[in-house]
Amino acid sequence: MNTTSIATSAPLTARLRAGGTWKPRTLDTLRIADAELRAVLEGRRNLVIDGAMGTMLQATGLAVGERPELLSITHPAQVRAIHEAYVAAGAEVITANTFGANALKLGDAATVAEVFAASIARAREAGARYVAGDIGPTGSLLRPLGTLSFDEAYELFAEQARAAEAAGADLIIIETMTDLAEARAAVLAVKEQTNLPILATMTFEADGRTFLGTTPEAAAVTLDALGADAVGINCSLGPAEIRPFVKRMLSVTSKPIMVQANAGLPRVEQGKTVFDIGPEAYAHAVAAIVEDGASIIGGCCGTTPAYTSLLAELARERTPRVRRIAPALTVASAQRCIALPAHEHRIAVIGERLNPTGKKRLQQALRQENMDYLASQAISQEEQGADILDLNVGLPELDEVRLMERASEQLQASTTLPLQFDATDPVAIEAACRRYPGKPIINSVNGAAESLDAVLPIAAHYGANIIGLTLDDEGIPATAEGRLAIAQRIVDAAEAAGIPRERILIDCLVMTASTNQEQVAEILRAVTLVKQRLGVATTLGVSNVSFGLPARAVLNATFLASALGAGLDAPIINPGSARYMDVIRSFRVLNGEDAGSAAFIERYANAPDPYQQAVAAPAAAADAAETAPVQTGDENSIEHLVISGRRGETRRAVEALISQVDALELIDAHLIPALDEVGRRFDAGTLFLPQLMASAEAAKAGFDVIRAHLGSTAATKGAVCLATVQGDIHDIGKNIVKMLLENYGYRVFDLGRDVAPEAIVACVREHDIRLVGLSALMTTTVPAMADTIEQLRRTAPGVKVMVGGAVLTPDYAREIGADFYAKDAAEAARLTEACFADKPYA
Amino acid sequence: MIAAVPQRLRPLPDELATPMRYRLATCASGEPAGIATDRAEVLRYLGYRGQAIDEALEMRIEHIADELERALEPHGTSRIFSVAIATDASGQPCIRLAGSAIELHGRDAYRRLKDACAAAVFAVTLGMESERRLRALAARGPVAAAVGDAACTALVEAAADRIDATVRHAAAAYGLSSGTRFSCGYGDCPLSDQRALIDALDARRTLGITLAPSNLMIPTKSVTAIMGLFEGAPAHDAPTASCAGCTVRNGCAFRAHGDVCWRAPSPSAKESV
Repeated sequence: MNTTSIATSAPLTARLRAGGTWKPRTLDTLRIADAELRAVLEGRRNLVIDGAMGTMLQATGLAVGERPELLSITHPAQVRAIHEAYVAAGAEVITANTFGANALKLGDAATVAEVFAASIARAREAGARYVAGDIGPTGSLLRPLGTLSFDEAYELFAEQARAAEAAGADLIIIETMTDLAEARAAVLAVKEQTNLPILATMTFEADGRTFLGTTPEAAAVTLDALGADAVGINCSLGPAEIRPFVKRMLSVTSKPIMVQANAGLPRVEQGKTVFDIGPEAYAHAVAAIVEDGASIIGGCCGTTPAYTSLLAELARERTPRVRRIAPALTVASAQRCIALPAHEHRIAVIGERLNPTGKKRLQQALRQENMDYLASQAISQEEQGADILDLNVGLPELDEVRLMERASEQLQASTTLPLQFDATDPVAIEAACRRYPGKPIINSVNGAAESLDAVLPIAAHYGANIIGLTLDDEGIPATAEGRLAIAQRIVDAAEAAGIPRERILIDCLVMTASTNQEQVAEILRAVTLVKQRLGVATTLGVSNVSFGLPARAVLNATFLASALGAGLDAPIINPGSARYMDVIRSFRVLNGEDAGSAAFIERYANAPDPYQQAVAAPAAAADAAETAPVQTGDENSIEHLVISGRRGETRRAVEALISQVDALELIDAHLIPALDEVGRRFDAGTLFLPQLMASAEAAKAGFDVIRAHLGSTAATKGAVCLATVQGDIHDIGKNIVKMLLENYGYRVFDLGRDVAPEAIVACVREHDIRLVGLSALMTTTVPAMADTIEQLRRTAPGVKVMVGGAVLTPDYAREIGADFYAKDAAEAARLTEACFADKPYA
Repeated sequence: MIAAVPQRLRPLPDELATPMRYRLATCASGEPAGIATDRAEVLRYLGYRGQAIDEALEMRIEHIADELERALEPHGTSRIFSVAIATDASGQPCIRLAGSAIELHGRDAYRRLKDACAAAVFAVTLGMESERRLRALAARGPVAAAVGDAACTALVEAAADRIDATVRHAAAAYGLSSGTRFSCGYGDCPLSDQRALIDALDARRTLGITLAPSNLMIPTKSVTAIMGLFEGAPAHDAPTASCAGCTVRNGCAFRAHGDVCWRAPSPSAKESV
């Protein structure tokens, strides 16, 4: 990887490698307007922020849907007058009229700098004590659910942050966020581009989650760790409805909490929009929130200076009390927050299956960038009871940095479990942590100076937790005290870098009982010592203990139970092992985590004792819906099973025949003819789409058996690149084509959806692709398809292009320069066969 | 931009002018009057034309449709605006919705709304949970992905039908009749008109709907629609959806595939494409 790409993927590491310095962000590194504002940020003083701008602007007759930020330039007097009314009502912070002033929303209407300069000037003119630059959402949804990349969002926010500081803002308010990834991008941009204090709030629905599923806890711990100086809730609902969510935030962060509630829902009375909570009721409800511990208060939609003056009164009458939260290790995804309190023994299972070491299928999936396979592994670990997922994509020949970023992004869409980034290259670790919407774990740092210097700044800067391995340049100490000494060194270095000890897990490193039997007891003692002396959480890769011994799972389970007894908090295990999960679930009864043993009883009340079971266990679990008996011996049955879409039975039939019949014979005489027949029936209309796909799934199950049998000697007919074009997010059709082509023996590089032309060109060149399949579902994205074809023609003249999608027709396909038009997936497969056979397709 | 020509701009009754928000529980969630996924529609979206289906496939489809119905709760919002006829930047007549920045271009929207006194605009979505569910189904395999997609489409259409009926009912109470609903991106109404519509409904904030640069909605299982409200009978508005009056029928990609962009109003009309 060259230096420019490191600078993009991992700017902090790039800077450190270039000899640059880094120091943790504290209140002392910020430009804070005065001692009073500093007292606010230290939680010693209340602060009153103004109320709604939109409501006030609408009262002046602004049409719904116009860019209100431009009024700071076009109607300065009106905007200033609104600010003046809030100042007069007692607002200490005036929020400049810049909420949607980003390059994306402003377009050509004005520059970001112009709008921030004008808006901040209007707030100053009004006599504001503090002026806040206001940053709202970009208006576009971030990947993986949307199309905007984290880096693009960051750039939009960075431009706003610089403009706000240049125009003389005293602080930045980031608000109304529903996407934790976007909120993080904004906080990071302000933190990296300015020295201003950051107040960050998100918007929650009645179910206690944002539209993207973020909980108050996940938002609070993530934004706190990243460096927001106050976190909180705005907009959403009325203050009474918000109060329980505020309490949830108060319990997980010691940062000041900010609240700007709505005045209820709008309705129209005599032609005017009104809100259903009046100033007195509103202030009364906010007073309760302030009593709970929130210290920065203001209004949102529907509030006016009348509300602000009551808030100012209640803030003046009170001084925030000192809040103490129970220390806990918190790990968060955008949807879920896992907490391990320091003073209670709780267990979090870290799933270890997303690590290619010794896993051939995962290795293959990573090589082919088959992210669906990673997603399915993540989902099954979640179902099996994992709380956190370790992610390791390290294979010698692959680009770990890019893969780590891509895998992390894909997993965010398919699992709600927090991730643990497992890599040795600091660039890969930083690239993933920088863009992760949550508070992940870094696996790992060790006691060697080189490791500490490279990894601790990343954990500190991005607000990640960190696993510290008790080894250094001298190796792993033999005694518990030796391990404790390294752990102590790691904790000291981390705290010096601004990482509190609640964010540290120590791994005392499991040795193999077969070679270091005397060490096993030392490891357990080290776990206890580290917890007692340092007050940090502990983790262990449990299964190492049994290496080289028989009945590994038995030994591992016993060791796991012992380690939990010694105080282990976060075992790294395979949650697919019932034996380990039996230990976990029973220990959660013993440590009091499973209150009333409810979960244990629900799971085991009617479960048979595994040791009482008959010895003859079924060889393979049958698919739930497919329990019909297997007809073996009859080779023709494979064809029938594929055509009728019976996945489990096809797999078993192929398994039964594989040792008797030549693999190629199975493919060429049975599976492929079956697929051809399915294609013909689909064309004739006697099968419909799900039946075609079920057949393809059945055939795939058969091919998987054959490939496993042949091992790496399985040849492919050629490589095909598939993508849904840029701007389009429909991928069902493309995925069907992918499965069919894989069945026909092609190696498919699936680039996913919303793919830039450049990425397709790069894939074609890197893998010497002969055929590219492009899909577009909307008329609006066909131009992107045309552009992709044009770029391919220019840069890879030999490549053929096949297109498909609901809005395409043969004429349209020709017009945009495609070689082939496939009306459906079955035809795409036939076109591919013809293309690779160099035959014209008729 | 040329100012709207004030034309029949009567103030709306407060009840109609108030933005409405909807939480549409499904039957599967235990709400007896809730909305339900029409299984026949699910099959239709999957390209079903009367083929024989075995029980295993039927079970798979039913299982996924049921799972999604239980997991999802559609949310929606509607708002009624007075209709004004204006001229757009290129000098063509267009429809403007008073008090909003919505400007609807093309002959279809013009034909449907020019005689309306007001227009109801609404948005409904299955929420981000539907996106996550669809991703999880995709990881299970293409059959699950396609069935899930079809089931979600049928569910969001059912939700749109419910809001459509609610608005129709509210308008009827004030003596207004309602035309057939239509959406940006169909006929010659450009998809780009959708942006102002999403803004006017404040749908990003109230429903979590965002627009991709290509103007596609995310969550993808979201619907926006516009429906003319008339004093007296709906004028220039086909009583049932068909391709007959559509301005782009000859170059239509849906029709090229033997499909239509609209949904038949009743099961009996389904075969007539």
